[in-house]
Amino acid sequence: MKGPQSRRDFVKVTTVAATAAITGFPAFIPQRGEAAETLLLGVNEELTGVYAYPAKNEVRGMQMAVDARNKKGGVLGRQVKLSIEDNVNNPGTAVEKARKQFEVDKVPVLMGCLNSAIAQAVSNVAVQAGKPFIVSGGHTDTVTGAQCHWTSFRTCHSTWAETHATGLSIAKKFGKKWYFITPDYAFGHSLLDGYKDLEGKLGIQIVGSDLTPLGTTDFSAYLTKVLSAKPDCLVAMVQGEDLVNCLKQANSFGLLKRIPVAGPQGELEVFWELPPEAQVGYFGFEWYYKNVGNNKEAQAFVKDYMAQFGEPPTARSAFGNITANRMMDAIEEAKGTEPVKICKALEGKHFSPLTAATAYYRAVDHQMVWPMSFGQVVSGGQGGDKKDIFKILDTQPGDAIEQTAAEQSKICKLNYPS
Amino acid sequence: MNRYANIAGMSLLAIVLLAMPEIMNGIKLNVSLGTTLLLFALAAASVNLLVGYTGMMAFGNAAFFGVGAYGSALFTHYILPDNMVVATIVGAVAGTLSAFVLAPFLIRRRGIYFALMTVAFGQVYYFIAYKWSNVTGGEDGFSITRPRLFGAHGMAMQGADYYYYVLVIFLLVMAFLYFLVRSPFGLSLRAISQNEVRVRYLAINSDRMLFKCLVISGMVAGIAGSLYSMSINFAYPLLMDWHQSGDFVMMTILGGAGTLWGPFLGAIIYTLASNVLSSKTELWQVFIGALFVICVLFFPKGILGFLSRTATTTEDVDTSTPRARAEAVIEGEPG
Amino acid sequence: MLCLSRLRQIVDRLIPEIINGIVLGAFYAIIAIGLSLIMNLTGTVNLAHGSFLTLAGYLAFVLLQYGTNFWVALGVSAILTVIVGLIVERSMIRPLYKRIPLYSLLLTFGLSLIFEELFRKIWGPQAVPFSAPQYLQGVTEVGNVLLPTYRLVIMGVLVIAMLGLLFFLYRTRMGLRLRGAVLNTEMMAALGINTQTLYMMNFAIGIFLAAVAGILASGLIGLSPTMGNGLLMPAFITVVIGGMGSLAGCLVGGLLVGLATSITTLYAPAFSEIVIYILMAAVLLVRPRGLFGEEGLFG
Repeated sequence: MKGPQSRRDFVKVTTVAATAAITGFPAFIPQRGEAAETLLLGVNEELTGVYAYPAKNEVRGMQMAVDARNKKGGVLGRQVKLSIEDNVNNPGTAVEKARKQFEVDKVPVLMGCLNSAIAQAVSNVAVQAGKPFIVSGGHTDTVTGAQCHWTSFRTCHSTWAETHATGLSIAKKFGKKWYFITPDYAFGHSLLDGYKDLEGKLGIQIVGSDLTPLGTTDFSAYLTKVLSAKPDCLVAMVQGEDLVNCLKQANSFGLLKRIPVAGPQGELEVFWELPPEAQVGYFGFEWYYKNVGNNKEAQAFVKDYMAQFGEPPTARSAFGNITANRMMDAIEEAKGTEPVKICKALEGKHFSPLTAATAYYRAVDHQMVWPMSFGQVVSGGQGGDKKDIFKILDTQPGDAIEQTAAEQSKICKLNYPS
Repeated sequence: MNRYANIAGMSLLAIVLLAMPEIMNGIKLNVSLGTTLLLFALAAASVNLLVGYTGMMAFGNAAFFGVGAYGSALFTHYILPDNMVVATIVGAVAGTLSAFVLAPFLIRRRGIYFALMTVAFGQVYYFIAYKWSNVTGGEDGFSITRPRLFGAHGMAMQGADYYYYVLVIFLLVMAFLYFLVRSPFGLSLRAISQNEVRVRYLAINSDRMLFKCLVISGMVAGIAGSLYSMSINFAYPLLMDWHQSGDFVMMTILGGAGTLWGPFLGAIIYTLASNVLSSKTELWQVFIGALFVICVLFFPKGILGFLSRTATTTEDVDTSTPRARAEAVIEGEPG
Repeated sequence: MLCLSRLRQIVDRLIPEIINGIVLGAFYAIIAIGLSLIMNLTGTVNLAHGSFLTLAGYLAFVLLQYGTNFWVALGVSAILTVIVGLIVERSMIRPLYKRIPLYSLLLTFGLSLIFEELFRKIWGPQAVPFSAPQYLQGVTEVGNVLLPTYRLVIMGVLVIAMLGLLFFLYRTRMGLRLRGAVLNTEMMAALGINTQTLYMMNFAIGIFLAAVAGILASGLIGLSPTMGNGLLMPAFITVVIGGMGSLAGCLVGGLLVGLATSITTLYAPAFSEIVIYILMAAVLLVRPRGLFGEEGLFG
């Protein structure tokens, strides 16, 4: 056994070596930075954690857009490359990574984020850095509302739009007497506020409303109340595991035979993983791969996606694809990467969001205005296809479901630099 | 430790601290990450007071950190927008109070019970932040604009400016801790970690010592948190979660519990490792978990613990209960 | 007349919640017993306990996908989980026995991170469609109340498990030795009994209980990488409330925690997540060693 002195020396040397390695280590990382030929598009996504699957689909959509564009010669004659960072579903890390992307990697633009808190936090970073940022999948109203910024845009629908789209469809299909089950956290409250707005606008009668704590496994007490209140529809705003339990129990209690259960947002990533007895109910879908109409570009997108990944594209894939394409278009139009020019190029332009309809990023709040569908989840899929689980029953146009431009101009002040 | 190594270490430390923005740029990372390193080091230092010097397993310091974060954020947004110094103080006070409120409960137990209670009560703060969404924004978080230094026409603190502001406060707190651990109070804490029963027999009220230690720990964590939310311009409930507490404890152990600069070293290694690994691989959490396991099994004294002879509470052998002493005897360790 | 129907209404609302509370409490109690056994004998705070719950669930899920009988899957997965647990115990936890509990806490915390990530990698980050077999779903009529069958089954299995444990501890040689080691490890060793084997067996029992609970819970609340961790915190609180070193304490504590949660959900939903912490604070103020705890145990 060596003496204590040499052990200390050994440790000292190791420590110094380790410190040197750690500080020098990143030198081994291949250099990033805007090479003359490559145009970098920054991507900030929740690649690890509970949202990993939808996040991956968003990136897939973006990558397909980039690949397709590169085949046609790139943007402004330059090949395009995605510069992807994982924000590990943590807002603090997301902010650090976004700053790194802007300051060190020097990405001219940023896209991504599906977690609401992260979308807002990164949007704040973008305006500090003065660079354009398109939120692909975060739904919180504030991103294009009270905390909007001139740099920030959003592709997916706002929470307000989701409730209004599904609300209009529910009123049309089932009736105006509703029962609410709301999860007791910020997202639930925004959903509830959105639906309650329809009370005045459509004459909705709220026959009952319950707040459920997160992690509720047993909805039987609530469902019993629903049965006795006899609404035209049960609007269940719960998400995740809570939604699964609610649906399973609604199914096993036979409630679904008498009263339809509807929710603001259904995601294929979630529903594909559910047991058959929970693949029930009526939900809003922001985009569905079988609902692209005669849009050739969209049909090609669906076909290529299935060929490449072995499963149909989801709404998330569409968000990514639309976001990346619009960003590249804006850079082309701005003939460069000057931020204000790119933002102005994004505003107001009409394009086709992988469906038969048209869409545009509104100038007043930078929210993308496009339709949203409503339909039924078909357990086990339709036509023998296990993945085709959504039957579309109704579609609401974009302008009808978002907050009006006049209202938004009161809460959102973009504050372009003068 | 060898005097020359000491001087060399301190010089290296001074260089790193003063030149952090340049170093960060040099290693292709953003400057605010350097600020984060300092702040996590402070949070780990607050844990070190409890874990390293007093021998108490504190797994809830993220709650104090988080309360500090929300404190300065809410103050900046609702009450006084452009006053960074006052906001820092408000956050610090909030963190201190959050510890003050829990301390009467926590001092009633030791050991595992203490640890479980710190976790559990920390979670209560997390739930409050989560549920009180009208005020805190809930899980959507709370955005702020970084306040100017002093008043509406004061200096706007961008990147490196803010780092140096944080550095000043960091050094002040570290100086405070330096004198604290050398004071009679600090020595009592160390005595408690070695044998609390003996300390009580010496007519020292160990409960009161622990109470003060908790409050000071809360203050340090609160300062760190209050500066953190102003760094990322955001506050969110996960900052208070016990996983965040676990990270802080890990930084302390990794660097060396019971040493003054151990937490700082641990914070640097842990935070940089997480940041760089998560950019490289989706399995980064496996590596971080493995880091925990390897550190605990093979380097329990941490890096500085190896080097420093004055490190305390690195007594691996648990002699706190009769059963544990019996266990040590059976294993052949000196009782 | 009016009073009676109001009373009837209240009772009708209350009974399902009480049943829920008892089932939940049984889960917490079983998990708490496992934790307590491990903590009691070896001073190990097992923050990875939730991971074993989840692991058992996933193993059962795999077996069920191959069409295995539910009960066979339950038994086999539990045993497999115990094997994994023993490997972990021998290789990583054993070296920490003589150290202060902080290290086992950190080690198991790190393990839980690794497990969680591995689960995500293998089975995906979202919940997987774990379903208990059809004949266990639905409702059963007891008297004139409709109760979910699966919950009754859970109660049954957990009660059997607890009775089995009691039988083992108080009616078998091995159980006797285990109880002896808890009281005085030194003496057990002096009597020539291999304490290392006892530790392994103790750990195995704790993990077995966790595994059974995990598989049953998967059918109730769904199976995802973080499922077990969600059950872990209330279980720890159960241990604190009931008092370490007492199995009766775990049972009573579990019931208290379960009932408190479910009744608060009914009458004051905003507090339902915090009520267990308030309960713990109250118990600690009045009786710091827990309801059934022994004085001076772990300070």
